Amino acid sequence: MHFIFSDEVVLLFDFWSVHSPAGMALSVLVVLFLAVLYESIKVGKAKLLHQAVVSVSVLSSQQLTEETDQDSSASDSAPVSRARLRWFFCHFGQSLIHVVQVVIGYFMMLAVMSYNTWIFFGVILGSAVGYYLAYPLLSMV
Amino acid sequence: MADNSTTVPPHHHHHPTTSAHHSHGGGMDGMMMSMTFYFGFKNVELLFSGLVINTAGEMAGAFVAVFLLAMFYEGLKIARESLLRKSQVSIRYNSMPVPGPNGTILMETHKTVGQQMLSFPHLLQTVLHIIQVVISYFLMLIFMTYNGYLCIAVAAGAGTGYFLFSWKKAVVVDITEHCH
Repeated sequence: MHFIFSDEVVLLFDFWSVHSPAGMALSVLVVLFLAVLYESIKVGKAKLLHQAVVSVSVLSSQQLTEETDQDSSASDSAPVSRARLRWFFCHFGQSLIHVVQVVIGYFMMLAVMSYNTWIFFGVILGSAVGYYLAYPLLSMV
Repeated sequence: MADNSTTVPPHHHHHPTTSAHHSHGGGMDGMMMSMTFYFGFKNVELLFSGLVINTAGEMAGAFVAVFLLAMFYEGLKIARESLLRKSQVSIRYNSMPVPGPNGTILMETHKTVGQQMLSFPHLLQTVLHIIQVVISYFLMLIFMTYNGYLCIAVAAGAGTGYFLFSWKKAVVVDITEHCH
């Protein structure tokens, strides 16, 4: 098996069969967009984690100061569980995003596995464009 | 949906992979691998030559095994990260004088964090790295069977593993960030 230049390919699903140069150009654009999305999801997940950690720590420290100000001897289970619930939802959302990232990564691998050179260029170019656009956002807090 | 896993001739690996008609497609005669997603459990080869799935029960067992493998992969990643952080306790500071703007001498400090090459933590990291690489290739090959059930098992296992193991990791990251 080797890389070929061809206008015919069947990508991933039965209905995605390409027969013409226009269809191939459209498929390359879709694969490019998928690669850009993959890179931006990677950056988005890191930023979401940072935001979630910051917000939950702020929330728990606020609740702790409220507790000490009120000088109550009641158990502090309620504010702790609120922070914990918020952290649970944040983490659950991140796990869903992780699943999407894993699936898109595998789809890109399978697209390259079609051994069509145009599709391969689309994946590479999309990864480059996605990295170029998304990674500067990582350092912006 | 048509069942793309057609009967494969027993000596399929002797046939040339490029047939006379060059068009690619799933479900064509002569192609031993499906190139599009399908849902089925008849005659599904999984990674090794002896592992063939023929019944729904075997597919359910394979689903669970692949799910656990993907979960283990995510856990291994998190475990390696935490091991690396724990073993990087040796921090070397190198200070060297550099000329300042007005002829003064400033001290520039470089901080290097690392492991020794022949230390046990580094050897352990290497062994775990090899295991991680092998498992990641196995998961890629499983996804490459294009079987819908197995692909869903990989994705769900990755998500569940991330959810279970990264929960603890995020807490550790929080604590260490506050300490600095």
